[in-house]
Amino acid sequence: METSAKKLIQFKNIVKSFDGQIVLKGINLDIYENEFVTLLGPSGCGKTTLLRILGGFLEPDEGNVIFDGNDITNLPPYKRDLNTVFQKYALFPHMNVYDNVAFGLKLKKEPKDIIEQKVNRMLRLINLEDFGKRGIQEMSGGQQQRVAIARALVNEPGVLLLDEPLGALDAKLRKEMQRELKKIQKEVGITFIFVTHDQEEALTMSDKIVVMKDGEIQQIGSPTDIYNEPANRYVANFIGASNIMDGIMLEDRKVVFEDKQFECVDFGFSKDERVDVVIRPEDIDIVAPGDGKLKGTVKSVLFKGVHYETVVETKNGTSITVKMNVSEDKPVINGSAGEMMSANDFYLDTEDVENLTDAFIIDHSDAQAWDPKTDERISISSVEYEIKKEKGTYPVTFKTAAGTMVTANMIVQDPNRAVDEEYGEEIYAVNFFKKADEIQESIALDTDLKIWANALAYDLETGSSVEITDVEYSFDPENIKPGEYEVTFKTRGYEYRIDTTDKAEVGTTVGLNFAPEDIHVMKKQ
Amino acid sequence: MKQFRKMTYPYVAWISVMIIVPMILILLYAITTEGNGVVNFNFTIDNFVRFFSDSIFLEVLGRSLRVALITTVLCIVLGYIPAYYIAKCSDGIKMKWVLIITFPTWINMLVRTYAWIGILQNDGIINTILGWVGIGPVDMIYTEFAVILGMVYNFIPFMILQIYTSLSKMDNSLIEAAQDLGANRFQCFWRITFPLSLPGVISGITLVFLPAVSSFCIPKLLGGGQYVLVGNVIESQFLTSGDWNFGSAISLIMAIIIMISMYITKKVDKTEIGERASA
Amino acid sequence: MKKEKRVFSSIFMALMVVFLYAPIIYTIIFSFNSSKSLTHFESFSLRWYEKMFNDATMIQAVIYTIVIAILATIISTIVGTITAIGLSKSRKLVRNLVEQVNNLPIMNPEIVTAIGLLMFYSAAHITKGFLTLLLAHIMFCIPYVILSIMPKLRTLDPNLADAAMDLGATPWKALTKVIVPQIMPGIVSGALIAFTMSFDDFVISYFVTGNGVNNISILVYTMSKRINPSINALSTLIIVIITVFLTITNLIPVIAERRMRKKLKKAQKK
Repeated sequence: METSAKKLIQFKNIVKSFDGQIVLKGINLDIYENEFVTLLGPSGCGKTTLLRILGGFLEPDEGNVIFDGNDITNLPPYKRDLNTVFQKYALFPHMNVYDNVAFGLKLKKEPKDIIEQKVNRMLRLINLEDFGKRGIQEMSGGQQQRVAIARALVNEPGVLLLDEPLGALDAKLRKEMQRELKKIQKEVGITFIFVTHDQEEALTMSDKIVVMKDGEIQQIGSPTDIYNEPANRYVANFIGASNIMDGIMLEDRKVVFEDKQFECVDFGFSKDERVDVVIRPEDIDIVAPGDGKLKGTVKSVLFKGVHYETVVETKNGTSITVKMNVSEDKPVINGSAGEMMSANDFYLDTEDVENLTDAFIIDHSDAQAWDPKTDERISISSVEYEIKKEKGTYPVTFKTAAGTMVTANMIVQDPNRAVDEEYGEEIYAVNFFKKADEIQESIALDTDLKIWANALAYDLETGSSVEITDVEYSFDPENIKPGEYEVTFKTRGYEYRIDTTDKAEVGTTVGLNFAPEDIHVMKKQ
Repeated sequence: MKQFRKMTYPYVAWISVMIIVPMILILLYAITTEGNGVVNFNFTIDNFVRFFSDSIFLEVLGRSLRVALITTVLCIVLGYIPAYYIAKCSDGIKMKWVLIITFPTWINMLVRTYAWIGILQNDGIINTILGWVGIGPVDMIYTEFAVILGMVYNFIPFMILQIYTSLSKMDNSLIEAAQDLGANRFQCFWRITFPLSLPGVISGITLVFLPAVSSFCIPKLLGGGQYVLVGNVIESQFLTSGDWNFGSAISLIMAIIIMISMYITKKVDKTEIGERASA
Repeated sequence: MKKEKRVFSSIFMALMVVFLYAPIIYTIIFSFNSSKSLTHFESFSLRWYEKMFNDATMIQAVIYTIVIAILATIISTIVGTITAIGLSKSRKLVRNLVEQVNNLPIMNPEIVTAIGLLMFYSAAHITKGFLTLLLAHIMFCIPYVILSIMPKLRTLDPNLADAAMDLGATPWKALTKVIVPQIMPGIVSGALIAFTMSFDDFVISYFVTGNGVNNISILVYTMSKRINPSINALSTLIIVIITVFLTITNLIPVIAERRMRKKLKKAQKK
């Protein structure tokens, strides 16, 4: 900002709470003349509340609002020299376009001819000259939006407040209005304070962006500052997509992440301080595996029009491999009763033995009996077994009322789990038996394999479950033959998003390259 | 979905017999004289001529319209305040107020009106209280005042509810926008709130004026035997003097007058909103 | 200034409540009066209640009122629901026409509807009595049921019935399992309006009844010509019935909601 600019609005330690919930936690913010300022943040961050306090629709619990040198904290809205464009426009439905725009001037009792001049000039500015006599309901969303802006601007306010004014418009119209708003602001030369949750909107229009979260300001700066030098992980994530890694600052201009040392341009951290490291997707180049600073496998490539969005995994996630035993269906036939019956062997944990139920056994052994003529299912009347809480193989016998019976093995083993200390994750899965036709008939094989193997992953610290993103196997599910196969389950590893115009092939190994100035180091929150 | 259309057939037959036929009968009786056979009708406008040439009937009609008009105006003036008050309450309290206002309407109208006979007596509770401050017994029961009071009492909940509904439907940001553009509380009300509540007022008028013009039990109960409104004339034509033709004609006249006044109100509503906006 | 306004409106609201409830409280108090006076309360007694219960015409009127109201509510709710669903699938022209005629009994002064019916019954040579009264009540109740269901049907996804039938439901199943549950709130409020309209009706009943069949309104109207405090007793009885009825209808949704919440909680615990 130029130093000559004058402070127009000052928020001094604004605190506001609703029903005991603190929405604004002591906001301090200066806004200068002729600035286009955007309050950016997700819903519930307090940005609209701050705007409403400035508009005079809410009173802060603590703090002062200074406007042009005067304290206006307790001034009612109709005495403030600023106007608002409301979220859903709040146009008066019982008035036409002209009367809506003229409303403020009429209240000021300006002479009729002056009102007419000003209103018409405004309607020209928003390209709605010939629409004065139209009713509000006859206008499209974009037109209503412009009327709302004209209605506010015609009063020649010192500041225009805009509360998510483009939220109700479709994508194309939004883009147009963004350009138009910026043009209007340049033309009338007053301060615009714009509230939005759309980071792209904020980046394209603002002179200054105020990023908010949970009632606190995270960062204030120009769009380029905020994009290139985010203050923390939150801002980096909110403004554009980012690759954010945990790292350690060895010394000035030297950072370690992924067990490798990199040169960077950041300094002023203490020795061995834990930091967040950001690299923007467009700052990474895909090169030959040997030429890159990092190496990884291409996991996915999405065409985005101008560029390709490529995801490269440099390090596997937590993984576990289990054995899948595929068998042919060999049912037992009981000719005299006209019944057929089948059951699988299955694996279980020593921990499962304690709460073993018949339903669990029938479910896991896939035990079933049916009439071969009608294909109707027959219920299993008894399940007989003896089991100990020790590793070993225990037979189980299923019987129907007609006396048909089949025996399968329950193989008790220690729980099969893998822990990855680096990620702080634990993954768990069991070996299992399946029939070939079940694998062939599966319509969502990855999901079914996860269910059959009971595959689950947890975050060791929080105990919350972690998504298993990859299921790997080498068999052809359409033509599977009996035998033993390996299935591997994996969580998400270290992944980098890269936006380039070069297309990489999925599954190939590539190198990733970036310059020292593309690495941005931030303090941990 | 065509198979579902058949579900309307029984009701179409029903309304033809129970709604349309009676309406045709009223029209038919109104334009014929007594003693019609099934095949030969004597068409005439005598019934209408008789009504409009008799000053007594015209006086009754005038009185009915006057009473209905006063009742309607009182309901708007007295009903707007509670409606506005309730609309400004917080959500939980709003519903309680609506319940308080509507509860009496669920109790039989005759029953509630009957109670006023006792209250309005010369030695009733109101006159007793007036007596304490030295105002001598005022004749209230069996006067036009009592009739209007009875009507306002019966119909005002509907007016309150209609205005309240249209007020609470109004987007609060409109008020904020008006304040933002420099309107103080009074200007806000007069330029935004009131014009936007007019649809509620109009439907309130429909719910008050219409039954007020045609009411015949309230004037009978609170106005006494001598106090006659159009409704009472129609009643006597049908149930005492037995002149159905004349009675039908009077109801037709009344229905037409009501239709015209409703039409005018709606017209006024539209121009009113337009004028206020450009004022 | 704000405070003054609040005081003014609070006083006004208090006066409005007094105005609306004074007659009701007055009626209840004087139903326990030992003397015949409607203005001076002498002492507490139940003599008017005794008189009321010994008066066969009064008891009969109460029974007729309730029986007619229940029958009219059931029939008009069923017919109204069927018609409303049919209308929502009908062509626009048919729908508009039926809706117009349907609105006639609501828009017309009651007395006009009443004399129309009176003349219709006499032209059709139907003796006035219980049946004519019931038919008349059904006639003016159905429009209210239809009117309270139509908005619910309008907000319904028009493909709902098709979706149900696509999934294998017969038209009847689609109707009862999908559409009716969706519009249930409208049906219930329609039935409620129908019940009170029938329970309270005076004008139409007064014209179309005969043969000694009276309802409460007609009874009060005819008896009010002479001072008769047993009307107060009857009125109090009605006030009690309506209060209980309203409390129940208002409480049922609350209780149902609480039960749902409990169930949800249990489900969540599992």
